[in-house]
This record gives sequence, C-alpha cells and structure tokens, in this order.
Amino acid sequence: MKSLAVALPILSLVSTALAKTVTYDFNVTYTEANPDGQFSRRVIGINGKWPIPTIDVEKGDRLVVNLFNGLPDADTSLHFHGLFQNGTAHMDGPAKVTQCALGPGQRMTYNFTINQPGTYWYHSHVKGQYPDGIRGPLIVRDPKGPYAGKYDEEVIIALSDWYHDENPVLFSKFLSVGNPTGAEPVPNSALMNETQEMPFNVLPGKTYLVRMVNMAAFAAQYFWIEGHTMRIIEVDGEYTEEAEADMIYFTAAQRYSFLLTTRNDTSENFAIVGSMDQDLFDVVPDGLNPNVTGHLIYDASKPLPEPSFVDEFEPFDDFGLTPLDGEDLWEDPTYSFSLEVMMDNLGDGANYAFFNGFTYVAPKVPTLYTALKSGNLSLTPEIYGRDTIPHVFKHHDVVELIVNNNDPGKHPFHLHGHTFQLAYRSDVDAGLYDASDSSVTFAQKPMRRDTVLINPGGNMVLRFRADNPGVWLFHCHIEWHIQSGLIATFIEAPDVLQSTLKIPQDHLDVCNGQNLPAAGNAAGNTQDYLDLRGQNLSPAPLPAGFTARGIVALVFSVVAAFLGIAVIALYGSQELKQKAA
Amino acid sequence: MPNVFAVPVFFIVFRETLETAIIASILLSFLKQTFDTPESDRTAYVRLRRHVWLGLISGMFIVLAVGGGMIGAFYGLGVDAWAQSENIWEGVFCLVASIIITVMGAAILRVSKLQSKWQKRITLALQAPSKGTTFGQKLEKYSLFILPFITVLREGLEAVIFVGGVGLSYPASAFPIPVLTGLLAGSVIGVILYKGGNRFHLQIFLIVSTCFLYLVAAGLFSRGVLTLEMHQYGKLVGGDVAETGVGPGSYDIRQSVWHVNCCSPTFNGGGGWGIFNALFGWTNSATYGSVISYNIYWIAVIIYFLYRYFKERKEADTVSESDTEASKINRNIEAKTPQQTGVDVDEKSA
Repeated sequence: MKSLAVALPILSLVSTALAKTVTYDFNVTYTEANPDGQFSRRVIGINGKWPIPTIDVEKGDRLVVNLFNGLPDADTSLHFHGLFQNGTAHMDGPAKVTQCALGPGQRMTYNFTINQPGTYWYHSHVKGQYPDGIRGPLIVRDPKGPYAGKYDEEVIIALSDWYHDENPVLFSKFLSVGNPTGAEPVPNSALMNETQEMPFNVLPGKTYLVRMVNMAAFAAQYFWIEGHTMRIIEVDGEYTEEAEADMIYFTAAQRYSFLLTTRNDTSENFAIVGSMDQDLFDVVPDGLNPNVTGHLIYDASKPLPEPSFVDEFEPFDDFGLTPLDGEDLWEDPTYSFSLEVMMDNLGDGANYAFFNGFTYVAPKVPTLYTALKSGNLSLTPEIYGRDTIPHVFKHHDVVELIVNNNDPGKHPFHLHGHTFQLAYRSDVDAGLYDASDSSVTFAQKPMRRDTVLINPGGNMVLRFRADNPGVWLFHCHIEWHIQSGLIATFIEAPDVLQSTLKIPQDHLDVCNGQNLPAAGNAAGNTQDYLDLRGQNLSPAPLPAGFTARGIVALVFSVVAAFLGIAVIALYGSQELKQKAA
Repeated sequence: MPNVFAVPVFFIVFRETLETAIIASILLSFLKQTFDTPESDRTAYVRLRRHVWLGLISGMFIVLAVGGGMIGAFYGLGVDAWAQSENIWEGVFCLVASIIITVMGAAILRVSKLQSKWQKRITLALQAPSKGTTFGQKLEKYSLFILPFITVLREGLEAVIFVGGVGLSYPASAFPIPVLTGLLAGSVIGVILYKGGNRFHLQIFLIVSTCFLYLVAAGLFSRGVLTLEMHQYGKLVGGDVAETGVGPGSYDIRQSVWHVNCCSPTFNGGGGWGIFNALFGWTNSATYGSVISYNIYWIAVIIYFLYRYFKERKEADTVSESDTEASKINRNIEAKTPQQTGVDVDEKSA
C-alpha cells in the first residue's frame, strides 16, 4: 500500500511528461448540408460547420470538450462511444443516465483521460439526435502499439446513412398509431465520410492503416475494396490477431481497423463500395440507391471504374477473431441473467421494443445521480425505476448476459463502459438459448467488442467483468429502437461510485438551470428512495379482449337486436290476427 | 361460407321471387275463377293461362340472361378497378345493401298486403278502357301475357340490380347457391300461397325469415361503418391492414371498443366466424362507430315498425271489422263479367 502511494506520483509525472491535453470548444448549431447531392437540408453541426470535426488524440492524452448548446430549440449531449470512462463515469454522456441533457444556451465540460488506443466515435446521446448530423470519428492513435511500424499512413473512413427528413419529423411518424408494425424509416442514401464519390489517393506498394466506423442511424453496410484484401487488426478498440477479409459487415456503431497494402502498379483505380443491408428495411422504397461508392485512386488521370456486381454478400464473421492479448473466456459467472428482446404494441397503438416485457422510459433523475445519493439502497434495483430496466452488479462480478432475440430483425447491441466477450452466438432462428444443449460451444479466447450483431430469432452469450463502477446502458444501436425503448440500464458497483465519484458543479448546473432534479430516486423522491410514486412509465398495454366497455357494448347490441326482433314479430303478428279474424 | 353463400343475395332473390310468385298466383286464380266455370269457354281459359305462363317464363329467361350478363361483366371489368380502394367500396356497398334490405324487407312480412296490392293493380290493369288504336288493341289482346312478362322483367331486373349492389363485396363464387335457393324458396312460398296452404304456418315462417333479414341488414350496416373506418386507418398506416392479421396493428386502437386476437370474420376466409358475421354482424374488433351504428340501426327499425304497427291497427279499427280491402276488391272483380273488363276474349283470334 505504501509503495503504491510512492509509486503513483512518479507514474503520473512520467505520464504528464508524455501526454498532452487536447481541448475542443464545440458550439452545437444548425447549418445546411447536401451530402448526397439530392436534397439540401438543415443539419446539426459544430461551430457552424458540417461534417463535424474528427477528435484526434494519442493514447494517454487528456481530452477536454467544452460543449455549448447553440441549438435554439433542442437539447443535446455528447457520448464518446467505446471509451470506458473508468473513474469518470459522469463523462459518458447519455441524457438522463449520467447527466441532464444541455438545454438551449447551456454549457458543460467533458474532461477525461483516454488510455484506450483505437477507433471510436462521438455523437449526441439525446433521443434520436445524431442522425441529424452530430456524429464524428474519435481516433486514439497508438504510436507505440503492437502494429506500429507495420503501416505507412493512417486513414479514416466513416460510413453512415442519411435521411432527407429531420429525426423529430420521422420519429413522430415512426412511434405512432399510424405505424403499428414499427417499420423503421428507411435512409435516403448511404454515405462515406459524409459524402459520396469519396476519393482515397494511394501510393503503390505502401501499407495503410484504415480506421473505419459506421456512424449510421440504422443501416448496416457491407464494405469491400475491389481487387484488395483487408487485414483486420482491431475491432471496437480491441487489437486482434491479424485476420484477412474480403468483405466486412459493419452494423451501426461498429468499428474495424485493417491494414491495406496497395498494389505495385498504378495501371488502374479500384472502387470502394459500401452497400446498405436491405434486409433491415421493411419496404425498400422505389429508387433507393443502397450503395455508396468511393475510389482507391492510384492514378488520377485513369478512369474511376463503376463497382462490379456481386452475386452474394459473404462478409467476414467477426466471431472468429482472436484478441491480441489472448485473454481467456471469463469462467464461472457470478451474475448471470438474460434479456428477452421483442417488439409489441402498447395501448397508444404504437410499436415498442421490449427487454423482458419492459420498454425503456427515462427516469426523472439521471440514474447515476440516483446511485450516488441513495446510500445503502443503491444496490436495490427498484429505486432506479421499473422502466429503466435496471440490473445492479457488484464490483468485480463476472457478468454473463444472455440475449434472446425473439424478433425477426437484426440488432446491433452496444454496451457502454465495457467491451464484452462474445462467448457464443447462435445462427438465425435458433430460438432461446439453452445452456444444456451440447452443441453450444463457447469460444475459448473470445473476441471482445462493444457492439455486436445478434441474428434474427437467435441468441448470444456475452461475458464481462464488472471492473468499471458506473451506470452503463446496454442498448440496440439502431436509433429507432433506442427511441422505441430497446435499452437496459446496468448499475455497476454503485457503492464504490459513492466513495470515488464527485459530480462537477457545471454538470449539476445543467440540471439546476432547467429546474430538473439532480437527486432522488427515479421518481425524484429524495426522502424515501423506495417510494416510486410518480415515476415515468411506459404507456399501458393494449386492453386484453373484452374489457368492461366491450362487454357493455356487446350487451347493448344484443339487447337492441332482440328488441328489434320482438317489434318485427309484433308487427308481423298483425297478419296472424287478421287471418284469425 | 361467405365465399359460397352471400346471405343478402339469398334474401333479395327470395323476396323478388316471392313477389313474382304472388303476381302469378293472383293472375292464375283470377283466370280460374273467371273462365274455368262450367258455362264459360274452356279453350279461352287454357289459352289465357298459357299466356300467363309464357309471360312468366319469357320474362324469367330475359332476366336471367340480362342479369347473368350484367354480373358477369361487372366481375370481369369492375373488380380490378375497385381493388385499389377495396375498403371504401366494400363499406359503401355494405351500407347500400343494408338500406335496400331494410326498405324491401318489411313487405315480406305483410304478404297479404302484398297480395292485395297486386290484386288492386292487376284489376286496374284489366279494367283499363280500350284505347282504340290497333297497337292498343293488340296490347289488350295479349295483356295476360304482357302483364306477367313486364312484372317478372321489372321485379327480376330490380333483383339483379340489388343483387349486384349487395353482392359487390362478395366474390363471384358466393352467388350461384343463394340465387338458386332464393328462387326455390320464393317459388315454394308462391305455390303455398296459390294452393291456399296453411297461412298461419306460412306467416310464422315469414316472421322468422324477416327477423333474420333484419339481423343481416343490421350486421351489414355496422360492417359498412367498420369498413369505412378501416379505410381511414389503412390510409393512415399506409399499407394493407389485412396483412397484419388479427393481432396488434390490425385495428385502430383509438376507436376500439373490444378486440380479440382471434375469431376474425375476414382473416383467412373467416370460417365459422364469417357465417356468424353474415347472420348476426359479429366482429372480433368492434369500434365506437360499428357499435353505435349497429344500435342506431335497431333503434330506427324499432321506431319504424312500432309506428307502422300502431298506424295499421288504428286503420283496421276505423275501416270496418269484417271487410278488408282485399276482400272488397275480390268481390269487385267477381261482380264483373269478363266482357266488361278490358280483356276482350276474342274467340276469332284463337
């Protein structure tokens, strides 16, 4: 203990000598853009510009983002996707989870140290805001990393999808009685680095480290470079053993880095293709171009070829990747639970997404603030609200999360604050996970990542160690499903948080400035944390069959019919009387 | 079953056949009473009876030809044009069918009124003074052919139009059986009337069938409103609501009074629930509109029949205790000799 106390200042001296502080001043504003050349629209940019800047730091740097909400009519916040925020859980960014959303004219500072190398991204974590433009890559360079020296240059390619309508407009149609099947709005275009016809000028005989991220709201993309092989070395910030791939499937929010060695001759250029996975779309609209094309340009004077037709998509299976550190599967989970995914309609007629029969509704108080102020009750899930779908882990629990996808759709599930081991992933339509099934075999050195695809009707087993006290969301990274409630809240070691974390005043001021509670349980009750009266809840379920009103209506109708028949018979019986007479 | 038996079609055909049968029976009994007497000419009676049958049969033939052609053409051409907005048409046709059945249904109940109405008309026709023109004379000479011919044509074409209107929401396969059974039932009742069978039992039968008729019409009225509401909902949802089956999303929760995820009269052909719907207006998904319209329909029917009931009872009291209109007219006809009527029994023309 003593030696540690001595060692720490020395270590921090060393690191401050090397590391620097990178500061960004971000003013979130509206601006205009027309990235697909089809339609000019209002977008959310930063400092009057769009696309927004790429955050570019080195491993060990301190990142400071001074955020000002210059939007006149919308809240905002920033989430740094994939960063663990170990020790800085309050910097994670999702509104109503680790902070209050910034109202118009408010400001706050994100300030944390980054020790994870790799490819990340940052985006607004307020409702479905980032598809309107506030999304950008976040690169943590690693000049001393295991693959340093194996490439000549680093390049970023960010895939994305694009809508011509703003999210609030689309959302009001999506989550409504008029869309009972929950059909997600289909993007109008696919983009590459927020544009189309992206050029990638290369020199022959060189090796590039290509860092890729899919910043889409919805669409996954198949990605390939004609005439070239990609050597994957990183997924979601985790180095892997080198693996060759001809085609990579990027769900929304997934990242891959790969080494690309160029050809030795410059006789031709090659198409770089991203193709949206149309299986995700309920109905493919007429005239949709699912593809976005860029070019690997060896010689600008040579023609840029059209991409050639592919018969079938055969992407690389990420399950087969091995982490470079060779970490073994976490054995003997101490906290094992399952989440059942399904879609259903609630009493308002709209189609919601459910984990274990509940659909996420944000609490009145950010969950992190509830955890910090609830004393011994912080380990009691109920205080976080029924519809935040809370699960509480103890420090250093080995957590096993089984996800059963009862929905016929593909879902990219993302966990904040961690990468998890993908111990097992079933095929399509395998049904519920069955631990006693002998054909189920776990990966021994499983791939780790923070966003993983679950197959339609399938299941998967994730494992991770609860070594990062904080409040972390587990959710589908399709923004439409975030908005229809496919989110669970994991509260990790809240007792440790209470002794280690202090919320900066500027974070609390964001709540205070809007008269939002910054303490109390999910219902805002600061006196009795077990009294959840007034908590935010989802709409009531659909009425089941005959309710009181249905029975009354049916009885009235039957009585009316019988009375009518009686009167008809009475009238008809006149004839009988006349006959008798 | 709704796919092979359109209940409203049955009732319309039955009603029109019954009306025709009544006319035929009146004419035939009139001939029998007037000409089939020991002192009158037997050949004239036979000839005139042949006229009546010829009129009936030729009228029937034309109606079947025209009706078959019309309905065939309608299914050949019409259905595709309407498929786009099927719900709105189905809703409108249900309402039209309901109103047609309601208006014409009451007449079945008062079969003696129907009889007396036709007796009066036929008498008037037979009594009409000769116009003196050759064409007029020709008409007169064949009036016992023309009268049933025109009547069958008129009633028959009316039936065809009604059947077409009522049946628009049914597939073509739902027509043949109800048309045939309707014809059969109407004819059987006609024969019973002519033979003077047990009128008491007949009236009971007519009361029961009229009650069914109005149950059907009430169900159609309610279904019409429901279908129009589904059309609105379909526009909002922007797709074919029927595709979503019977579960959530197949109905507009904002309007729902009850909904069970089964027992749909339309999904997958409907099965037994389809019959339940055709006869009693059952739906697995009731709305405020469909429930209220169903009840309002019955209230209107109740008020109308009560009004008629009290009005006719009052009339019956005031006219006379023994004489009904019909018997008066009957006696009128009997009082006149054939020579005095418009029918000039011309021996030479035979």
